[in-house]
Amino acid sequence: MRPSRLRTVLTALAMLPVLAWTLFPIYWITTASFKTELALYARPPQWLFTPILDNYTRVLTNIPFMQYLKNSLVIAIGTTLGSLVLGTLAGYGFARFRFRFSEAVRFLVLVMRMAPRMVLVVPYYLMMQRLGLLDTYTGLVLAYVSFALPFSIWLLIGFFVDVPIDVEEAALIDGCSPLGVLVRIVIPIAAPGLVVAAIFAFLVSWNEFLFALILSGVEAKTLPVVIAGLNTDVGPLYGEMSAAAVMVMLPNIVMTVALQRYLVKGLTLGAVKG
Amino acid sequence: MTRTRIVATVLVILALTLSLGMPAFSQGKSLTLSMLAGYKEDVLRANLPEFEKKTGIKVVVDAAPFGDLYKKQLLSLSTGGGRYDVLFMDEPWVPPFSEFLLPLTERMKTLDVADFIPTTVASGAFQGTQYAIPVDPNVQLLVYRKDLFEAKGLKPPATWDELLAAAKALHDPAKEKYGIAVTASSDIQTALYMLLAQWSYGAELVEGGRGSLNSAAGRKGGEVFLELLKFTPPNVRSYNFADVNKAIQLGQAAMAIQWASGAKPMEDKTKSTVAGKLGYTRVPKAVRQTPMRGVWTIAIAKNSANQDAAWQFATWLSGKEFGQFAVTYPSATSAIHSPRVSVLKDPSTRAALPYAEALLDSLQITKERPRLREYADIQENLRVTTGKLTAGELTLDAALKEIDAGTNRILGK
Amino acid sequence: MAIGSAGRWFLLPGLVFLFAIDLIPLVYSAWISLYNWWLIRPRDIRFVGLANYLRLGHDPEFIRAVVVTTLFTSGAVVVEFLIGLGLALLFAQPFRFLRRLRVLILLPLFVVPVVGATMWRVIFHPEVGVLNYYLNALGLGRPPWLSDPTLALVSITLVDAWRTIPFMFLVIYAGLEVLPGELFEAAAVDGASGWQSFRYITVPLLTYIMLLAVLIRAMDAFREFDIIFVLTGGGPGTATQTVQILNYRAFGLGHMGEANAIGLVTLGLVALMCWALMRLILRPRPAGG
Repeated sequence: MRPSRLRTVLTALAMLPVLAWTLFPIYWITTASFKTELALYARPPQWLFTPILDNYTRVLTNIPFMQYLKNSLVIAIGTTLGSLVLGTLAGYGFARFRFRFSEAVRFLVLVMRMAPRMVLVVPYYLMMQRLGLLDTYTGLVLAYVSFALPFSIWLLIGFFVDVPIDVEEAALIDGCSPLGVLVRIVIPIAAPGLVVAAIFAFLVSWNEFLFALILSGVEAKTLPVVIAGLNTDVGPLYGEMSAAAVMVMLPNIVMTVALQRYLVKGLTLGAVKG
Repeated sequence: MTRTRIVATVLVILALTLSLGMPAFSQGKSLTLSMLAGYKEDVLRANLPEFEKKTGIKVVVDAAPFGDLYKKQLLSLSTGGGRYDVLFMDEPWVPPFSEFLLPLTERMKTLDVADFIPTTVASGAFQGTQYAIPVDPNVQLLVYRKDLFEAKGLKPPATWDELLAAAKALHDPAKEKYGIAVTASSDIQTALYMLLAQWSYGAELVEGGRGSLNSAAGRKGGEVFLELLKFTPPNVRSYNFADVNKAIQLGQAAMAIQWASGAKPMEDKTKSTVAGKLGYTRVPKAVRQTPMRGVWTIAIAKNSANQDAAWQFATWLSGKEFGQFAVTYPSATSAIHSPRVSVLKDPSTRAALPYAEALLDSLQITKERPRLREYADIQENLRVTTGKLTAGELTLDAALKEIDAGTNRILGK
Repeated sequence: MAIGSAGRWFLLPGLVFLFAIDLIPLVYSAWISLYNWWLIRPRDIRFVGLANYLRLGHDPEFIRAVVVTTLFTSGAVVVEFLIGLGLALLFAQPFRFLRRLRVLILLPLFVVPVVGATMWRVIFHPEVGVLNYYLNALGLGRPPWLSDPTLALVSITLVDAWRTIPFMFLVIYAGLEVLPGELFEAAAVDGASGWQSFRYITVPLLTYIMLLAVLIRAMDAFREFDIIFVLTGGGPGTATQTVQILNYRAFGLGHMGEANAIGLVTLGLVALMCWALMRLILRPRPAGG
């Protein structure tokens, strides 16, 4: 059923204000990274101008940016994998296995996400100190997985429950193990859910500041801490901050574009027949 | 599906290997420094190889952002983890941290103390013992547009009354020209501006162990500060330190009271349209002249395993060589101001920092904030209450009462 | 019940992890809140029972913060949910050009919150910001975005919405994509209109996802800190001083007992809010679906 041309036009028109509002600050940050501070505040505002690369060179030479980028990447990938694996397993368990207190336990999982993260700083600091995990990748990955896991579990429960159970039961009768059912049948159908969970976990780790600040310092220092450092005692360094922010955005964009195709229907067809 | 599995497995192994294969902490003479991130860190790192070459001591720099350095140091020192050997700290932190720091009174005598600006040495002392050495002094200055003053035939104001008169004369909102830029938000600077005014009229924040801002002098200072807000840009109630700088840099304000650390960005041509047109002088006086002092110091943790190496580092950081290097370092942002008289008087310093003379001059007559363990709490209370005052939630009398009540509560009175 | 008791092995890794890494620290933090622990005096830790909580109950500043936080949370969540839902529905249509736009919509999520808020401060700057430049050119004057108490609340809501509408959109959109297409086709064959399809098919099947999105957002908005702190610092006065800002303050000064008490009160309020929302909207789902 091809939608009418009117609908096409209306859709496009509805997109415009939203896109404008969403993208303008991004545009402003990106252009700021190529401007001097004076140019940033120019009146009338400069939409088109000759770009300078000073901000980028300063950021890349003053600080070992690549080192911190690697730190952030490793930790984020570790977090994503950790939350996906644990979350998928637990989500499937909750979706398909009812036990006496399952509702209560499920709510408890969510409750653990309700405390302001600040209250966990001292306990986590002491815990990591005792385990010798301060300023290591492992320490931060553990912390971040614990942040991302509750939401991942709840999200995946929702997606797994929507998978028609007859397909799973058919597979079990055919001799497939429960793990096999999960991996070969359920995950492909619920793929969009996993994509969201992955993006979410990645972002939790990528953008997190407070625990990166407290639990790391030199070896495992991540980008958000570096960027916060550009907010100096004499004010923010707008140019450098923008340049750093643009460079920090890029891996996220790459990841999302790569995961995009799993976000659509198409994988659901074929499995749901019969 | 299989290919995805392989990729996933590889990624997992990769992540695990990278996370476990962290380099072991190097043994031998090595110091861990808790430092302020930003331009100060940059200057330090630029000169660190010199220090390492001369002494063979390796320094690992753990830099934290300005808003978070205090709590990071507090957490580490308080839990006794021994994470840091040396700490770069702002002077109001010395009293609360003093019980975790190595007393340096004896060692201090081996330094060329005469070359330190006298008031800066006090910034590292608490209850008679020296706990930290000055590294980077800062002080409030009055910044003004020489060209605008000349055009109107005015001379830079010396008293608060003259300041108000000058601000009024130069205030022309229709042309987006304002008399003076300060902050009137709930930012800490607002409270410090009001405190400066109150100090000038003879008031004290804490006296005899009690809050004493609610006095005739305190009221007069508060009134003068509020009066000043009539000649500021219209939205000072959202201004912070950077916005005051902006107002000068974009030519909107004819004057500003600002910390010396904000002066270099004002002279930066990529940030400022008025570079070279600014004059610097002392903050205005009334009964007394009391520019507020803020010195960054270097301290040694009591449980450091490398006390001698740490002392070598502290000596170097507060010394003449590093000081000379730091003031003339072409950092894009601001400068580390050396606490050494010889450095601030040096011609190359005067050339690099146009305000060096005013800085040295004002540093001779500074007033310090109360040296108390509880000062951070007292200052927070001052900050919030002053913010409520400028937002119109409180009258001046009510605000002064609340400030004192808070101070007394914190001090357990 | 498809997998029967094998299910417990699926649950074990995740739950053990969470209880070890999350629950125990939470309990420890609750324990701290019963003490008077000031980091500056680590040897002077005293048990005070519920004193920290009682003090909060009598503190007008805290109560005001709860009100401000509630206002902000409700405003933000409503705006974000409606726009997020609208966007998801728009994007669910089978137009090719939408696929490329999808990544663009998600961009605000990729900006580090501190930088986003700092740039919005630049945009909102009353004198030299770009927003007021154009508003002034249009004759609408220069609204004091960050120095007027009411406008400040609006500003932080706007920036928070800017940042998290992509999240709402993403979650609901993913939910929409999993809906079986046959249902809609069958409904169209039976003569159902677009609105009826939406109301009787989409809404019931999406309820769980939408509720989860609202819950998570409400929980996060209640605890939002970075954006508010950078934009207004809690000001002007106490107009945007939320509970999290008070928490940050206590924590920054080293008052661990007080900070943890505020944190646990926040947890209690948020849990209450979630429980109420869930009770009202969610019906228990059978395992078979």
